[in-house]
Amino acid sequence: MPVEQANRKAGRAATLGLGLALLGAALFAIVLLSMATGARPIPIDMVWSALVSYDPNSTEHRIIWDLRLPRTVVGVLVGAALGLAGAVLQGATRNPLADPSILGINSGAALFVVLGVSVFGITQLTAYVWLAFIGAGAAMLVVYAVASLGREGSTPIKLALAGAAMTAVMQAIINAILLTSPRTLDEVRFWQVGSLAGRSMEIALQVSPFILAGTVLALATARLLDGLSMGDDVARSLGQRIGLSRGLAGLASVVLAGSAVAAAGPIAFVGLTVPHVARAITGPGYRWILPYSMLMAPILLLGADVIGRIIAPPGEVQVGIVTAFIGAPFFIALVRRRKLAAL
Amino acid sequence: MTLRAFALAALSSLALSAAAHAEPWTYTDGSGQTVTLDAAPQRIIASQDAAAGLIPLGIRPVGIYADGPVADAKALQGLDLTGIEIIGQAWGEVDIEKAAALNPDLVLAEWWDRNATWSGGEDVVTLLTQLAPITGVSAGDSILGMIEDYETLAASLGADLAQPSIAAEKTAFENALADFKSAIAAKSGLKVLAVYAGDDALYVADPAGAAELLDMQSWGLDLVEPEGVDAAGNNYFETVSWENADKYPADLILVDNRSPATMKTALAQPTWTLNPGAKAGQVAEWPAFWLRNYTHYAAALTELTTAINAANADLTP
Repeated sequence: MPVEQANRKAGRAATLGLGLALLGAALFAIVLLSMATGARPIPIDMVWSALVSYDPNSTEHRIIWDLRLPRTVVGVLVGAALGLAGAVLQGATRNPLADPSILGINSGAALFVVLGVSVFGITQLTAYVWLAFIGAGAAMLVVYAVASLGREGSTPIKLALAGAAMTAVMQAIINAILLTSPRTLDEVRFWQVGSLAGRSMEIALQVSPFILAGTVLALATARLLDGLSMGDDVARSLGQRIGLSRGLAGLASVVLAGSAVAAAGPIAFVGLTVPHVARAITGPGYRWILPYSMLMAPILLLGADVIGRIIAPPGEVQVGIVTAFIGAPFFIALVRRRKLAAL
Repeated sequence: MTLRAFALAALSSLALSAAAHAEPWTYTDGSGQTVTLDAAPQRIIASQDAAAGLIPLGIRPVGIYADGPVADAKALQGLDLTGIEIIGQAWGEVDIEKAAALNPDLVLAEWWDRNATWSGGEDVVTLLTQLAPITGVSAGDSILGMIEDYETLAASLGADLAQPSIAAEKTAFENALADFKSAIAAKSGLKVLAVYAGDDALYVADPAGAAELLDMQSWGLDLVEPEGVDAAGNNYFETVSWENADKYPADLILVDNRSPATMKTALAQPTWTLNPGAKAGQVAEWPAFWLRNYTHYAAALTELTTAINAANADLTP
């Protein structure tokens, strides 16, 4: 019954579209919550008036614009980038455990930041952004080059192995530097756990063109990822160029994950967990998994950041720690409920 | 002054003869413990602050352990360190093999009462006390008092405190102090805040925990006292979110200068200028916790005098 099938398909698309709209609304709500949460009590109507009619003489308005807005914008950008990067990587490598850290992206970024601090004495967060970005790209290139050695090219298994090996090597170098240079450790330890604190609008502006480009590229690969998810042979028989598809998807995820780690430091679990939740809701089909991941990840990240801001006054808990705390049990529950390997 | 010089000379000659006769050397330290050695110690390992107190008085340790890179250590600025082995350049770290090779007979540090610890922290103390007993003055409630404690300690170790250079340093300090006091007197209503600036938060100093701030209070400086120190994290500051950078409005803000990065961090915060003093650019350096001799103290007071003279005292009610 083709008509009935088409109807059911249209109904499913409408439901999933409605879900996306709900996620958009939830993201908007958590953005407002993030703007309203902080050490200084600012009522929500004041937050709104600060956003729509800024008064530079109002202390509250300045706090909203100078501290909370940049932090929230960076949170949304980083969250969206992490969610998309994780989903694309999992699809491209057909590895349910793929996330920016498994392919050496986080360690590459961390290595360059640590080198920049220890060798060149760099201490500004805005300079970390470029270091991390270059490091992420360099690491991914090396991982890809190593995985491409041999006759059958860069298979998912070889990518994961090369990524794990490179991560181990770079982590060893990072540890060697940090152990011998307490000053460097002191500088980078807050960056290393992943945090949104103290991020200025400048950082958001630095990474936003890359995140925008990466997002467009990632969303455009949805159809290619669907092909790859059926296995290399099926995809090839459908006329898809495997190497090119995987290269495009890899490029999108490096740009996204590199921007995210540059802006906020290595944040664990968001890129790993969110795509699985998205897949559990939407079913297979990257046309939906990608936008769902892109909206759900910033909700998780900002939510974790808001929690981190209020649970330990007068200090804060870094968002990287909170996401790991929330993400780990969540992930275990997911593993127990579903067959994860069904990618 | 002559009387004092005489007394010190007498004391030091006493100590010298004591050393010559190899009589037992005894010192009661800041934590209340007494250390007794067979003779006055000759080979001393000193913390950077103890070294800063002793070197100007003519007592040269064989080794120094610092809280950070020696090149950045404010307390060691301008001191002649030739021939002194540096055995640690980070808080809580010391090269125990280098320390053992120095064959020390005493470790001199400072007792920090609020944290109940010696300079360098537990790990360093545990390592160094395997080599020699530890003692030292208390990081007390007055730098002047500490300098006097160091004079007593140096005299017992055989220093000649009657040297004219030592007296000249003290005279220079007294002149700087007189200028400082008259600067304060000329600015009635000047409210001063001492802070450390981190990327994560602003830390407001409790003057009662910093000897130089207590000195300045006693000389008439109106220092802001925070409501409560953060006992969980540290005992010397109140942690204030950058959102509340104006919690303690002040005319003049002093920024901890142990690391040059602290001032940069402060100035880079968007809400730094919520505080009226910061907004008016009335910001100066706070020689935090490291003054141990008259030369350093005089230089610091002179800088503060300049800042106070230039400040507008009417920014806060």
